[in-house]
Amino acid sequence: MQPRSEPIPRVKQRAIDVRKLRKTYPGGVEAVKSIDFEVAAGEVFGLLGPNGAGKSTTIGMLTTTIAPTSGSARVAGFDVAGEPLAARSVSSVVFQDPVVDSALTGRRNLDIHGRLWRTDPTAVQSRVGELAETLGLAELLDRPVGSYSGGERRRLEIARALVSQPQVLFLDEPTVGLDPRIRHELLDVIGRLRDRNEITILLTTHYLDEAERLCDRIAIIHAGEIVALDTPGALLAGLGHELVELHVNGDAATALASLRTRGIAGDDAFTIGSTLTVPLHDRTAAHAISVIHDADLAASSISTRQPTLDDVYLQLTGARLADAA
Amino acid sequence: MTAISPEVTLPQRRVAHNPFAPLATLAARRFQLSVRTPRELVVPLLTPILFALVIAPALKQALHTSAAYEAFVATGTIGLLIPLNTMFAGLGVIVDRESGAQRELLAAPIPRSLLVLGNLAVAFAITALQVAVLIGAASARGIHFNATATGVVWFVAASALFTVGMYGVGETLASRIPRAEEYIARLPAIAIVPWFLAGSLFPISALPSVLEWFAKFLPLTHGLALVRYGLLGDSGGLHDIWSMHSATMMATLSLAVVAAFAAALTVIAIRVFNRSAVR
Repeated sequence: MQPRSEPIPRVKQRAIDVRKLRKTYPGGVEAVKSIDFEVAAGEVFGLLGPNGAGKSTTIGMLTTTIAPTSGSARVAGFDVAGEPLAARSVSSVVFQDPVVDSALTGRRNLDIHGRLWRTDPTAVQSRVGELAETLGLAELLDRPVGSYSGGERRRLEIARALVSQPQVLFLDEPTVGLDPRIRHELLDVIGRLRDRNEITILLTTHYLDEAERLCDRIAIIHAGEIVALDTPGALLAGLGHELVELHVNGDAATALASLRTRGIAGDDAFTIGSTLTVPLHDRTAAHAISVIHDADLAASSISTRQPTLDDVYLQLTGARLADAA
Repeated sequence: MTAISPEVTLPQRRVAHNPFAPLATLAARRFQLSVRTPRELVVPLLTPILFALVIAPALKQALHTSAAYEAFVATGTIGLLIPLNTMFAGLGVIVDRESGAQRELLAAPIPRSLLVLGNLAVAFAITALQVAVLIGAASARGIHFNATATGVVWFVAASALFTVGMYGVGETLASRIPRAEEYIARLPAIAIVPWFLAGSLFPISALPSVLEWFAKFLPLTHGLALVRYGLLGDSGGLHDIWSMHSATMMATLSLAVVAAFAAALTVIAIRVFNRSAVR
């Protein structure tokens, strides 16, 4: 394999191509149920879903640490089952939990990555310096990683993943467990990577704001299946520009049926507990509220607001994302 | 759903190259982690040193045995040092998996067998150093070895192959056992009990016949007999196993046993690691 600094020929293909990918663990647990998606080079693609939805299993299959039960997946054109070394050579991963050698310095952790990914040592040195500056690690690199804070460690892991200049970067819940300030710093870092458009990123998260802020497209994954896949804007547009949310004292399902009879609620209206959410589409809020009052639903509160990805998820899966996570 | 550009430009695949560079990187990493954990270097050495330098001379005095018995026990302690050290090295695999960088290494574009071989290289080097320290300390204590050049070759070959095999045992267990506590709980049964049965403190011919028969199947018994043949010129251990006249033939057979042990456990360790690494 040639050092990374040498020019390499280029071919045309998708960055990630997943077809009918399925994973059933021993014991019969179906973690991923025949999913399909593709990611273009330079795209930031989000897998959005709660814990246990199948996001990490999908990343595990794409990084060849989990064997697919059936189906196929290609990373930069390399089949993850048939050409695992090639698939791994063009990708890097930042794991959900810290995965570092705490007894070694940050610089040594980066150096090991560069060597194992067969990057030219001279290129590694300059790349480490550049990444250290970009990610605010310059003062930390020669300290043992065990002395780093959680945010510093996560920044180091992102730097490590970038040392080998991967074509595809997998970020598995990169901000889980971090305090809000560090989380926003990291989102800035990922956003800068996104803006440079040099790298394809597959990001898993159960934070809606992360997905909306960073991702060009989002696949909502629920119980191992992709239930929606589109741009954040298109997903939101499916629920219209405004919705009415009301809390009822009685049975929300009965109230929903009543609103459907009156032509206010469509098929995409949904209930969770005592909360009833009604996308308005071309109806006006004033008209909807008037009809709700006329229906005498014993609502304790009525409000209007713009739809969020949480509503999209809720409407598709019947469970609130923050609760499921 | 919004369509994406169906075709994009991406760099093409690269050709494979020399696997020894990543192996050296992995071994260097493991070495750096090991030297930062002094217990991995010192603890396995303590008990054998105690046996060689304190208990053997005490037994010699109490039981009115000869100086040869001191040398017998000192060489026997090599059969304790190697299993202890290699099993302690296996602990590093669990630490790597639980709180280290193992998943990063599994995502690296290298054959995963190199992770096992890199660990083995370091366990081997540290064990060799410790055996040298043990022999040096025993010599300094006045214990006499009677090694010829050929004898040193038998000793080195037997010790090296037994170390490789025992590391295979440690790596295999570490891949299959989820927690360090459970691993440590199994350490005495694997590293210490066979030592008492393998002719380390007394010849296996002194054991009850059933245990003597069992001891002949232990790789450690063959390893210790070879170590004594090499370092002391004593073929008694080999004769207890094979009951032949030719010492060279018996040594060759025992070396074949230890070599088969090393080869089998290395293959098993790699297979078990690969299976446990990919769910």
